[in-house]
Amino acid sequence: MILTALTILSGISGCKDQLDIVNPNVPTPESAKTEQGIISFAQGALYINGNIPDFFVRVVAVHERMGDMIGSSQVPSEVYCPDNITLDDGSNLVSIHPPGQKDYLRITNIPSMKYNSFYPEWRDMYSLNNAMNTLLVNVDQIEMSESKKNTIKTWAYFWKGFAYSRIGSMYYAGIITDEPFMIINNYVSKEAILAEAELNFSKAEELLKSLKGDLEFTEALNKLIPSVCQKGKGFSPSADEWLRHINTLRARNILVNNTTASMTAAQWDDILALTSNGIKQNDNTFTVRTDELGNLLCTYCYVEAQAIGPDADGGGFAAKVGERLIQEFKTGDKRFDNNFRQITAWIGPQYSGTGSNTRFVLVDKGNGMAGVVVMVDVEVGAHELYIAGSYEENVLMLAEANINKGNIDAGLALIDELRNYQGAGLAATAGTGLTSEQAKEELRRERRVGLAFRGFSFYDARRWGFLKNGRTGCVVVDFDGVVSTNATIQYGYLEYWDVPVFEFFYNPPSADSAPLMSPD
Amino acid sequence: MGFVLMFSLPGAAQDRLVHGKVIAATDRSPIPGVNIVCKGKAVGTVSDADGNYSLQVPASSKDIIFSFIGFKTVEVEVGEKSVLDVTLEADITELSEVVVTGTGVPTEKRKLAFAVESVAAEKLPVVPTASIDQALVGRIAGAQISSINGAPGSEISILLRGINTLNRGTQPMILVDGVQMGATMLSSIDPNSIEKVEVIQGASAATIYGAQGANGVIQLFTKKGKSGNMKVDFSFGMGTNEFLNVGGVRKAQLHGFATNANNEVINPGDNNPLTQALTQDSATLVYSGNVGYDPLDPATKFDKAYDQNLKYVDHFRMFFRPANTSNYRVGISGGSDKMDYNIAVSRMRQESNFRNDGYNERTNLTLNIGAELAKGLRLRSITQLIYNNNTINIWDKQDFGLGGNFGPLLTSRPFADFSMKDVDGNYGANFGSAAGINQFNPYYEFQYASSLDKKIDILQNFNLTYSFPKYVEVDLLYGLNYQTRNFRHEVRNQSLNQNSNERNYWTYWSNGGDNTGEITVHNMNRIFQNLKATASIHFDFNKDFNLQIPLRSITQITYDYRSDHLSRYKSYALGMPLMPPLSSALGTTFNVPDDYKEEFVTFGYLVNQRFEYKELAGISGGFRTDYSSSFGKGSKPFTFPRADGFFRISGLDFWNNSGIAKTIIEWKLRAAYGEAGIQPRPFDRYVTLGSRPIGNTNSLYIPADQNNPNLNVEVSKEFEVGTDMMLDGLDGNWLNNFQFSFSYWTRKTDNAIYRVDAPPSTGVGTILDNSVSLESDGIQASLTASILKSSNWSWNLTTNFSKQQSLVAAVKGDTIIDGNRIITAGQSVGELYGVWLLRHVDQKKPDGEPFIDPTEQLNYEVASNGWVLNKASKQPYISPDLYSLGNPNPKFMMTIINDFSYKKMLTFSFQLDWLNGNHVYNETKQWMYRDGVHADYEKPITINSEKGAWSAFYRGVYSPSSNWTKNYFYEDASFVRLRNVSLGIDFARIFNIDKINKLQLILSGRNLWTHTKYTGMDPEISSYAADWYEGTASSLSRGYDSNTRPNLRTYQFTFFVGL
Repeated sequence: MILTALTILSGISGCKDQLDIVNPNVPTPESAKTEQGIISFAQGALYINGNIPDFFVRVVAVHERMGDMIGSSQVPSEVYCPDNITLDDGSNLVSIHPPGQKDYLRITNIPSMKYNSFYPEWRDMYSLNNAMNTLLVNVDQIEMSESKKNTIKTWAYFWKGFAYSRIGSMYYAGIITDEPFMIINNYVSKEAILAEAELNFSKAEELLKSLKGDLEFTEALNKLIPSVCQKGKGFSPSADEWLRHINTLRARNILVNNTTASMTAAQWDDILALTSNGIKQNDNTFTVRTDELGNLLCTYCYVEAQAIGPDADGGGFAAKVGERLIQEFKTGDKRFDNNFRQITAWIGPQYSGTGSNTRFVLVDKGNGMAGVVVMVDVEVGAHELYIAGSYEENVLMLAEANINKGNIDAGLALIDELRNYQGAGLAATAGTGLTSEQAKEELRRERRVGLAFRGFSFYDARRWGFLKNGRTGCVVVDFDGVVSTNATIQYGYLEYWDVPVFEFFYNPPSADSAPLMSPD
Repeated sequence: MGFVLMFSLPGAAQDRLVHGKVIAATDRSPIPGVNIVCKGKAVGTVSDADGNYSLQVPASSKDIIFSFIGFKTVEVEVGEKSVLDVTLEADITELSEVVVTGTGVPTEKRKLAFAVESVAAEKLPVVPTASIDQALVGRIAGAQISSINGAPGSEISILLRGINTLNRGTQPMILVDGVQMGATMLSSIDPNSIEKVEVIQGASAATIYGAQGANGVIQLFTKKGKSGNMKVDFSFGMGTNEFLNVGGVRKAQLHGFATNANNEVINPGDNNPLTQALTQDSATLVYSGNVGYDPLDPATKFDKAYDQNLKYVDHFRMFFRPANTSNYRVGISGGSDKMDYNIAVSRMRQESNFRNDGYNERTNLTLNIGAELAKGLRLRSITQLIYNNNTINIWDKQDFGLGGNFGPLLTSRPFADFSMKDVDGNYGANFGSAAGINQFNPYYEFQYASSLDKKIDILQNFNLTYSFPKYVEVDLLYGLNYQTRNFRHEVRNQSLNQNSNERNYWTYWSNGGDNTGEITVHNMNRIFQNLKATASIHFDFNKDFNLQIPLRSITQITYDYRSDHLSRYKSYALGMPLMPPLSSALGTTFNVPDDYKEEFVTFGYLVNQRFEYKELAGISGGFRTDYSSSFGKGSKPFTFPRADGFFRISGLDFWNNSGIAKTIIEWKLRAAYGEAGIQPRPFDRYVTLGSRPIGNTNSLYIPADQNNPNLNVEVSKEFEVGTDMMLDGLDGNWLNNFQFSFSYWTRKTDNAIYRVDAPPSTGVGTILDNSVSLESDGIQASLTASILKSSNWSWNLTTNFSKQQSLVAAVKGDTIIDGNRIITAGQSVGELYGVWLLRHVDQKKPDGEPFIDPTEQLNYEVASNGWVLNKASKQPYISPDLYSLGNPNPKFMMTIINDFSYKKMLTFSFQLDWLNGNHVYNETKQWMYRDGVHADYEKPITINSEKGAWSAFYRGVYSPSSNWTKNYFYEDASFVRLRNVSLGIDFARIFNIDKINKLQLILSGRNLWTHTKYTGMDPEISSYAADWYEGTASSLSRGYDSNTRPNLRTYQFTFFVGL
């Protein structure tokens, strides 16, 4: 069933009633039917229909809150509130909304609360997918060179692959839809969604192979990426770089959708192979930066920027630096010294969840230590955010695969490589005779620290079993300012989210659909 | 609007000449245009501009009849007199009053087949805002006219018959002297320039206004000059206003924060006893830490005094102040038999009751000039120029900010001393989370930001009428309504403010990127034009065709053209210099987020045919056909039919000959049916792409909210029946006359436009669709009684009553869920949904299941405050699901107006408004509960045998279910309000001052007394507007108190001088 009103947009139906008055204020679907128009549309399809600000300020932020990297000063939400925390003195802090997050999420997944926590990531990714579907339908109707068309198609398949990857990595079921504005009521399992992601990645891969060395490819891609993003790592990637990017995302899909306990050797082999040919240190990737007017991303529209705070009050924004992030820094890590400052403990209101109390704030622009990574800089355009893959992610996946394959020193060397790259100033771990378990612990901490605020912490907490089994040895500041260093946190969070009610209420599943609710 | 009655002049025998003057009993002014005929003879004349007449009276004539619209007809025996002066009394029956709204052709009320409410402006109260809309509150039977925001310059909300559309609000069409006022707000009109107001309330009467008349029509008639000597009027008034706070809203004077042994509030993160007491930094004004506050801890009580390091600050006293209004007016009027003029200038100024928050100032110039250019050819020009200057802060304006400074102030913790300045002499924006999560200092806002909203409105009407000698009148109307609005909001560079830098808080409007300031300039222009050409053709079958049928025919053919051009241009510059002057040109970044044009054209034809049989009965029928640019050139027009009829039982001979006619002087039955439309917004049907600049390129994208090329006009169909009666009461002075009108109406809108959700997997958020059917019905009644009428005393009583309900009849596809409103078949429009707190532990859900599982029920009990609480946590039980909270719209409305007069020297009147069954969602209170500042926190309750001011209950009402709507805050906001009371003394009459017609002092009070159970500041307010240029009457968001400014209590005196 197609939403008939939207057929014009999809480009399927031709020119409609020419007699209608044109709204003089905004372009019409016709505007996208020239070479320049389709390029502008391809750009908007990612950066605007992909809801970039929402992606960073809501989606990534939710992952980072549930991954216990940050707390919240304001939003009293049970989504980020662990079911129970046992402090060092044996006392317990229970969720303010017993029995806990799972039930809370589900009682809010009802029609009257359609804008619930399940909604944003689903909406953003399907909006991105639909825009790319529309792009694919339209691009073939436009007179332009095959190379440029193929560049745009690569763009569309890659981002469709990305969207399906995120849906399949977060929701228990999803929808595969390739036609613009189509309502598809056949829900499929997350595994099928991830397979669809791979299908799109391989289409992009095929096209990219044909575009190697093509000057028109570079010319078109340069126009797709907004000028504000084209600095640092944000210049347009070459076909080879983009191919490596696909491999990184493929590796991620395997890594984050399996628990470490259940990973097979074959899966580690796959990750090893993919990340060996994944994003390299100097590769260009797809980045986003803030711009003066906030049309792409506004100054404080990402989680790191919301965690800065120069005063004893823990900052003015919604995010608080989590004690569970700080505890992962090894002594002497310059990344900590350069980016954080200790304050008199900030005690949040109890209803905002225990994770919010903190003794640390993130320092804007860092403390000026040469050669050390700066985790946030709110100066317009200064901070680089990664939409999809990055070198840092790839190198740690490669390290993890190596360690799990028994190449402990090779893995540790990669961790050292990342630490050096970020200016951590820590002693090398490779060659120090660490056991496999010790090496995995190095890797675990490095994923928390080296990939902080990038939106991996929820996936990691899931695959490491913390969501289900809880986590010991946590640093927690209680409401009297007392610091526990060996607290136990029972998160009890839902590992894969149910399909949001916003979808199934308006699009009831067909009889042969996969279950919409995770069995958790 | 003038019209001329025609007589066939006879060539009868001339016996003698009688002459004289006709004057009005009320003010002894001459009455021009009085029909003077010899009884039983086809001989007559009309009085001239000075009321003089002369008439050749046949010898056989005994009596002369003097009749004029609005006056009682007088029959005088002529006898042998040659001079006959006559005084006409105003016809209080009003049934002879002529109305034009909805009828097209001027028609006496006694011959109307539908309800038209008309109010003479002189009967409207003097209101401090000097705005016609405020004056109309309660005065129109059937209409819900509510004053929903107390910020100066706010519009009222008007709902006539039922909620018939969801897309465009309930705002009716406003006509001024026959043409639509499409750009100017009703609140801008000077009530003193208005002669009378007519209101038709639904489609049955509004068909003649076509595709956009379904919400009803309010028509204003501008005052004309009367022939005679020039009259000069002055008036001057001053008033003082204060915010209503009928619920006694205030903040808690006790607290429940963690304290040390000295009762000093401490920072719990600081374990050092020497430094843990909270202090405020004198440079940054920031507190040294957060407070220790666990409102959900069952042990936390609000029982500690602010008597040590933190002191209680009354934020209401700090910011709410009495403020003044002033009004001045000068008018001159006069005329001769060939022309008339009325010119007036008035000025109104109202200061904000929120300290430092600006004022609203309005100047009106009204010019009404009429001239007879040739016999039968009259031209009238009516001009209104309005200049409006409003400096209310943008965050506080009804049409932009909706209470921006009010909310943060209400939710700040009451120890924050916002008047405190730092060492540099600057205010602080935010004192740290100790002082409240949602605090923001209004003094800071006013130090760094200023708004200036300038509007110029022009209303120009031309009216050319020509009466052919026989049968045909032609009426040509052209109206131009122009508004230019320049809105400028300046925000100074705040980067030297230490508090702003420390806290990362600043004020802004357009772009909140940093604290370096900005200037936003909005320019809005609107040109609305309306051209109407009407030909009315009258035939009298008896007189004109010599047929022995007492039948009259009136045919109306109207061509009606309207065009609306709207443009908006908004720019902002960021990065202001640290020192004045501030100018957009000095900004470091410049952006134009809005450059918008909108054009709308509609035109159509109206054909209406009316037959009248004697004075007894009449029927009419017709249709209107409209083309609209919303549908493009190729589209078909929309056609709206209508029909009506009346029957005057009192016009039957047997009735007149029976005794009943002595008691029931007038009795009419009437019925009308009509259809009228509501247009989609001009571009609702056009599918577009979005466009946004990113870096140096423009991105195109798919808008999340999609338009719909298949949208139709919303058509509202209405049927009404009614009756009008006049009863003769007791003999003597008391209760000697009653007039009663009653109407029942029912209407339906089949294809109301509403945005419906699309499943997100389609990539679309919402799509506009003709998705809802709405049904409404109601009754309206009015009773006017002359309680006392003697030579010295009069006492008149008017009672207006109305009752209406609007239901959702059907929803296309499925239920529509929009926030806390669920639109589903069978329920009231605007019904609110929310979670429930319980009154009984074993309370059942609508499906019969208990809310609380029986095995859990022993953990709960009904606390002393009547709510079900968990005994251990002291938190209230809150249902996980949402249920209807009810329909916030009132069950009925009633207004009682009493007017007393003693020799016209002394007048006294008062108006009581009663809204019954009205409900308001008290979100203001919910937010004060959220932030733990509401005075209720001090109220002890007993739960589980423990008595205390347990914060777990109060905070528990808000959380854990966060910001959901709850039955706890859905309050009965029925009220009885003493809307207006006024005492007038006319010294000119008392002392019989020569040459001064009027020297009157009026002392008046508005909103002096309110009886309500509502616990907020004002039960009448409502927060949400449809949008900033559609007016303030949202269809769905009714009854929502969301930091809205309450109405004002006013004391005022006004002097009127008439020369």
